Amino acid sequence: MDPMSRFSVVPSGDASPGGPARPVTLEQLLHRAATGDETAFAELYDAVSSRLFGLVRRVVRDPAQSEEVTQEVFLEIWRHSARFDPSKGAALSWMLTIAHRKAVDRVRSAEAARHRDEGYGASNQDVTHDSTAEAVVERLDAERVHRALETLTPVQRQALELAYLSGYTHTEVATMLDLPLGTAKTRIRDGLIRLRDTLGVTL
Amino acid sequence: MSDDIHALSGAYAVDALDDVERARFERHLAGCTACQAEVESLVAAASELSVLTEAAPPASLRAKVLAEIATVRPLPPLTAPQHDSADEDVTSSTPPEPAQAPTATAAPGTQLEHADDLAERRRSRSARGLARGWRVVVAAATVAVLAIGGFTVWKQIDKDPSRAIADQVLAAPDATRYGQRLAGGATATVVRSNALHKAVIVTSGMSQPPSGKVFQLWLQDATGHMTSAGLMPGGGDQVVVLSGDASHSKGAGITVEPDGGSDQPTSDPVAFIAFA
Repeated sequence: MDPMSRFSVVPSGDASPGGPARPVTLEQLLHRAATGDETAFAELYDAVSSRLFGLVRRVVRDPAQSEEVTQEVFLEIWRHSARFDPSKGAALSWMLTIAHRKAVDRVRSAEAARHRDEGYGASNQDVTHDSTAEAVVERLDAERVHRALETLTPVQRQALELAYLSGYTHTEVATMLDLPLGTAKTRIRDGLIRLRDTLGVTL
Repeated sequence: MSDDIHALSGAYAVDALDDVERARFERHLAGCTACQAEVESLVAAASELSVLTEAAPPASLRAKVLAEIATVRPLPPLTAPQHDSADEDVTSSTPPEPAQAPTATAAPGTQLEHADDLAERRRSRSARGLARGWRVVVAAATVAVLAIGGFTVWKQIDKDPSRAIADQVLAAPDATRYGQRLAGGATATVVRSNALHKAVIVTSGMSQPPSGKVFQLWLQDATGHMTSAGLMPGGGDQVVVLSGDASHSKGAGITVEPDGGSDQPTSDPVAFIAFA
């Protein structure tokens, strides 16, 4: 079984404590990494690399650059592991925040943006709901997120996907979706709130 | 501009603000507990979307990552002034492992950090994204600056009128932006309000000036003459008010100058942003 399925971005208390192989939470691994424990960090890598790399690649698209960014992300996580504050959210969410920010930084730098623009036609298709569903259809947590996304209005969902999964600014999203300027940010926020409430995300 | 800044929380949570909006929102966030809580929850909600994009990295990446971290020392934890401070945030329902907490989450201006942390933080632009976004932003916007000698404008930032000025300029109805992308992916955007006679520079991803040097800001008048507009910290993301009346200036520049700054630019600008 994929060990990843036991890790959720909902609070650490939910990471099934009786898991057979590894009753260790990401928070604990991060904590050990903060003391310089490279073995713990390797375990952390194994547990989250698909989530982080997948998100980075989705935003960055270029495989070589995605790999580079992911490497930077892990270095940041390692260096800042002692700075993680569990009272502010789950470890996976914290790591994803780092990954997302670095990915977005990368695509917004000039030459990377050019690469991505060339592939925009294809990227737009990836944004649609069904194509992402195929890869993860068996996964319960993915299904859960898909179901939650279905409760959003189409515009909310598109705006959120373009912003989060494709790394566009809300102003760019407004243009892409022909929304009046200033309304994309509202759609993004409304969509996130709906997603949060539907998924029952708590801190 | 009296638009509802709270409405930016969602776009902020998914990194969908541009540099200037982000700077503005982060300034708001530092003092708005409602937005802080909302941003935290929306960040967590957005993170859930990553289950849709899972993909295993190339196997070779693991060895690269592990080899790299073996050569790097993790940073020490941020230590709050009072370790067991009663006013530490206790909203978490499940107490974290004691040894992991607390990272410093003190209000702006009250947080203390080690000098090497500061240097590191200023080097790394992504430090902001690290501790749940805004927490570190608050620290970066305040603490980082306190440790740098010579930046009188930035001292005691809580009481500092320049902070209020920056907020006003960034939110001014007549605020006009002039941006430039610098080498290495850094950006510098000047936001000017002629009504307020002030300009603010917002930088992102700047490197550090060479040792013994500082970044100095300049305003250029119609004759091409450059007048010092103060010094600017290097590294990371900065929001700095340019000193002087910017309303008639034709552009702003950044140069690298010897410690303490110069009366006139002594080097070619690393950035020049024309107000046109």
